[in-house]
This record gives sequence, structure tokens and C-alpha cells, in this order.
Amino acid sequence: MLDRQNYLKVKLFLKYSRDIHGRSSLQISNDFEHLKALLLWAGSQQVGSAHAFNTSLTDFLFQNVEKGLDQAELQSILNTNQRFLLWMKAIFPVEFQNIRLNWIVKISEISNGKEVII
Amino acid sequence: MSENQNSSNCRISRNVLIKAPGLLPMLYTPREIAEDLDVPETTLRDWLNHGAPHSRDESNHIWIDGKQFAAWVDSQRNARKKPTHPLQAGEGFCMRCNAIVKIKDGEIRSVKGHLSHLKGKCPICGGIVNRGIWNAGSSELPQG
Repeated sequence: MLDRQNYLKVKLFLKYSRDIHGRSSLQISNDFEHLKALLLWAGSQQVGSAHAFNTSLTDFLFQNVEKGLDQAELQSILNTNQRFLLWMKAIFPVEFQNIRLNWIVKISEISNGKEVII
Repeated sequence: MSENQNSSNCRISRNVLIKAPGLLPMLYTPREIAEDLDVPETTLRDWLNHGAPHSRDESNHIWIDGKQFAAWVDSQRNARKKPTHPLQAGEGFCMRCNAIVKIKDGEIRSVKGHLSHLKGKCPICGGIVNRGIWNAGSSELPQG
């Protein structure tokens, strides 16, 4: 079972994106699909301790997406997750105090040598 | 604390059929599921009354497991499909009896290309029963 608090935070982020940043319904829908990867990656753990997870988000995506991802799609997913984590760190500074800004910035980098399935 | 009331088939929209597999393996409230599937909450509660899987906690709040719900939606789609019965050799559909029957006194004549026409009588009502058959690999055609 996934952690409900993570889901509620994602929903809050999507609401903020729509109301404050004026993102369209289609963009919100795409963002939610991208953030589902983060929710599955976190599983029953809090996103606030994401830096301590055993596998990186990129590795998780490579392992679990069966149909394959092209590089642009993968980068898009990672960028959305990075935006979410940056927003989370700004909104919930205490809960996310253990996650360094540097770690969040690096989350969208695809490691060299990774095979991208097209 | 799982509860299932009267289980009957529900009309599920195509939109829901597409979105339901994307539900996450977690407990949702009815409102959250309704938002994610883009259906009114009243519709969702109607589905719960018609047997959609859900449970109640000690405070009597309803919780819905996303994966179980997605499986239920899929089962509703399959339940609406009518069972098929491919016609066997020598069988045809009698329009009078509205049933599959074994054709009596069947005659086969070639129509065009790979298609042949099997014409015979219904053993029940005696009416004429017609059936189109493919020449290639059909066991109804005289061999050799």
C-alpha cells in the first residue's frame, strides 16, 4: 500500500500548479501521471526521506517501466518530480529539512551509461 | 471489514474503463476516486451500493483499494460482454427458433471465391437455415 500522505501532497501540488501557476488541465493530468512514478517509488515510505531510499528514481523507472521510455519522456518525468520536490521543500521546510537542495537538483540528471529503451 | 452488497452489473463509461487501470495500490476515499476517474461522487457511491469493493473503518468511513476497484471495473466490462458460441461443423442459427441448431439435410454449394453456402432445415421447426462457410479448412465440405 502506498503512503496516503504522499498522495495528498501530490494532489496539493497539482492544485497549487493549477490555481497559482495557471497550468492547464492537460498539463495537470500529465504532471499527475509523472508523479505517480514518484508515489510508486516511495511506496509506503514518506517522500520526506526520499534521499535515503535504496534505489534512485531513475533506476526505479528503468526497472519498472516495461513498455520502455524514450529519453524525452524520461527527462520529462524527472523534471516534473524535481519541480514537485523543490515545491515541497519550499512549502514543508521542516519535513524536508533532510533533503538537500543539491540532491533535488541532481534528481533530473540521467546517469551516463544508462541504456534508454526506445 | 470488507463489505459487498447486491452485486449486479453497472454501466461503466469508456472514460472510466480507460482511467481505472491507472489507480494506485492505496486506499482512496470515495471523493478522491471520483475525482481521479472524473465521475460524480454520487455515481461512485451508486457503484459501491452495486457491489464495488470497499471497506469501512471503525469510524464508518468508506475506503476503496485502488487496485481492487480497477479489477472490479475490468470485471464489469467483461460481464457486459455476451458469451460467444462459435458454430461447430453442421450447425447453423435458426431465425425462427432464435437458437443454434444442427442443420438437417444440408446442401453445400459454392458461391464465390472461398465462400460456400450451406442450406438445410431446422430439426425443430422445419424452417430453412442458411449459413456461409469458408472453403479453406472447413470440415463441413466434402473432402477430396
